[in-house]
Amino acid sequence: MTKYIVNRLLGMIPTLLIIITLSFFIVRIAPGGPFATERNLPEVVKRNIEAKYHLNEPMIQQYGRYMFDILRGDLGPSFKYKDYNVNYYIANSLPKSIVLGSWAMLLALVFGISAGIIAAVRQNSWIDYLSMGVAVIGISVPLFVIAPVLQLFFAMKLKWLPTSGWYTTGEGWKTVILPAVSLSFAYFANIARLTRSSMLETLRSDYIRTAKAKGMKSTTIIFKHAMKGAMLPIVSYLGPAFAGIITGSIVVEQIFRVPGLGKFFVQSSFNRDYTLIVGVVIVYSVILILMNFIVDIVYAQLDPRITYK
Amino acid sequence: MFLKRNKNTNAALNEFAQVVEGNSLGKDAWRRLKKNKMAVVGMIIVIVYSLLAATAMFLPIYPYDQIILDHQHLRPSFSKTAGELMMETRLEDLYFKAWRAGSLVVTEEQSAQIRKWIADNETNKVWDFCYTEGERQREAGLFTFNSTDQRTIDRLQEKIDTEFLISVDTIIYTDLESGKAKNLAKMEFKEIESIYANLLKVDIAVIEKQTLDEISNQVLNTLKAATPGLTNEEYALNLEMEMDALGEKGIASMAKTNLLGKVKTTITRSAERDLRSEIRSGAVEFPLNREITVNEVLTAKVSATKKHERQYFLGTDYSGRDMLSRIIYGGQVSIAIGLVGTLTSVLIGIVLGAIAGYAGGKIDFFLMRFVDIMYGLPYMLLVIIFMAIFGRNIMNLFVALAMVSWLTVARMVRGQVMSLKNSEYVEAARSMGASTGRIIFRHMVPNSLSVIIVYSTLRVPAFIMQESFLSFLGLGVQAPYASWGSLVGDAVNGMTLYPWKLIFPAIAMTIFLFAMNFFGDGLRDAFDPQSKNQL
Repeated sequence: MTKYIVNRLLGMIPTLLIIITLSFFIVRIAPGGPFATERNLPEVVKRNIEAKYHLNEPMIQQYGRYMFDILRGDLGPSFKYKDYNVNYYIANSLPKSIVLGSWAMLLALVFGISAGIIAAVRQNSWIDYLSMGVAVIGISVPLFVIAPVLQLFFAMKLKWLPTSGWYTTGEGWKTVILPAVSLSFAYFANIARLTRSSMLETLRSDYIRTAKAKGMKSTTIIFKHAMKGAMLPIVSYLGPAFAGIITGSIVVEQIFRVPGLGKFFVQSSFNRDYTLIVGVVIVYSVILILMNFIVDIVYAQLDPRITYK
Repeated sequence: MFLKRNKNTNAALNEFAQVVEGNSLGKDAWRRLKKNKMAVVGMIIVIVYSLLAATAMFLPIYPYDQIILDHQHLRPSFSKTAGELMMETRLEDLYFKAWRAGSLVVTEEQSAQIRKWIADNETNKVWDFCYTEGERQREAGLFTFNSTDQRTIDRLQEKIDTEFLISVDTIIYTDLESGKAKNLAKMEFKEIESIYANLLKVDIAVIEKQTLDEISNQVLNTLKAATPGLTNEEYALNLEMEMDALGEKGIASMAKTNLLGKVKTTITRSAERDLRSEIRSGAVEFPLNREITVNEVLTAKVSATKKHERQYFLGTDYSGRDMLSRIIYGGQVSIAIGLVGTLTSVLIGIVLGAIAGYAGGKIDFFLMRFVDIMYGLPYMLLVIIFMAIFGRNIMNLFVALAMVSWLTVARMVRGQVMSLKNSEYVEAARSMGASTGRIIFRHMVPNSLSVIIVYSTLRVPAFIMQESFLSFLGLGVQAPYASWGSLVGDAVNGMTLYPWKLIFPAIAMTIFLFAMNFFGDGLRDAFDPQSKNQL
């Protein structure tokens, strides 16, 4: 097991390297640059600025410098927001995105799994149809439609929840509800459908029949016996779900004006803020890769048939 | 195989001498699909949408990019014309002002209610109330507007009554010598140039120079939009390259469009002048279709409609464009991107997957490692960067999305090909000397087609969602084009005031995605009945 973990951790390095290299060169080979919009700069000033950020050096030298800086944990200065460096911005906005994403994931897992189990246990009852109907809505309606509609309805018409903002705006925890719910909706739907189908399959298997024959309580059967086997597809779905939540948070943060990492990402892409773009991509990728890794470990723990060497 | 078969004599019979018909996989699947009601409904909806999108050009709807600034943010209405709605909006405003000034008398409670609405930011209710109350009082003779307000209303009414939209449909050129009539749009650029010069009575060289200047400006502008942030020298260099790439033919065709537009504008202007004086002198029947003579060689078919008699069933957007036609044309873009994108990614996936599966060994190893790494990338982020930096147009969007969506198909096809590689019919084909390409594309791919079809139908909504996601962020389809995503994205700001801008595109899109998902699920169940209870 330890060997497997070490191997996986080492395997992350090339992936991360490819991501950094790819994003580094994508942003730089395109025509134009971060200072191109400030058109009226005199040539001398421009050259000075470029020298300051080492933009006048050959690409490969810039790349080497950047990689060396990353090794020391320095993501470089931001080209657009000149007062601070990228580390500062990421340290400021990442916690908000993580809080939002975790809530969304938690909501999706808790409600998705419970809805799936109930639907499977009471198959073809009204509660099955209801939860699967909601799940179909969640799969078909895109996030950027759900989010404004929820905002329009719950925040603007009914005024139950604040329309936008984050903890600091005085509304406290209420600000997190709408973004988290809209972000979790699609994953709730997928998890509910997955849970239902895998639960149905597990409930038909032999070991559940044996447990029933032994006269066990049905709650014990469901939660102790069936759950463990039925959770495997859900665990393997978590990897793509994390990736989806990261991209989804970009939209949600824009609609609900959450000052998180996603907003920075789109803005910096428009601004061609080279270091900030690559920095954000690195952070997202590290989160994603780590999550996939954790998912794999959990999967191995849950399924004794899988042995990692 | 090579014998010509006669269907009747060669039909297979069972022991009761009944004809036994073979059942193909497709037929079987179709039979199962027909039983699934939701899937059939989904299929019908998808077909209707596709037909609407494909025939959008011929539908009796307003142009999706026609900007009428007077018609900004008109609410949807089935009974009222744009003019009536404009008048209503103006009256709401005036009544509200009158209430402020104290000339529109309402009860104390009502005033308090209005103030509460204003404090709550529910301006729509305020407008509605002021309008109904004001109209009621005016009908009853309790309230009259002061002279300034009355003049504003009268002026607006006159504008609504008299303004018209004129369009030149076809321009006919009659050759004086031969007497033949030709459509100007089908003539050569040089001929149009001389006709235009003749129309304006200026030298042909002046026109030619002006046209060329305008074309190079146009190319420069598209360049600037596509790759912003270059220096002037770089632009000049790029411009030269672009113009070279266009060549004589390209420039001539651009010049033709340019000149045709100018001729049309000239004719429109003069027709407009005539029509206006006609309206002033007497009644003119609208809608109007007539043929006018421009000069001795040119005649034009002109049609005119009253500008403010247009009806917007789904309202208008921030620049007075009809939402109905924007949604239909937006659907055209979204569906086209979904279909073509899926097709491209499936084709790439089939080719690479089949090669990897059939060749095996090193090729397989490298291709699949590449796919693994691509899977590990946060590719939506890379697509966002790509779009933000390389310019936002449909082509880039398409490339960016298709580049990353072939991975799953490739894996699927590889698996299928590997499992089919050792089957008897492949061996038979190989022993008969069939080439590798023939074996792959004539035997293996058709045999894994059902899996591919099912995956592709489920892929279309995902593609549409991704495209819309990017358009929503402002990274996809750019104005004047629209897609469902960009329509929703435009509507998010100000959605309390103009909810129709958000609701209708959202509904249109949701219905299509619903239908597509049900149809895809139904197809999967039809092709693979075993999967019925799985996700």
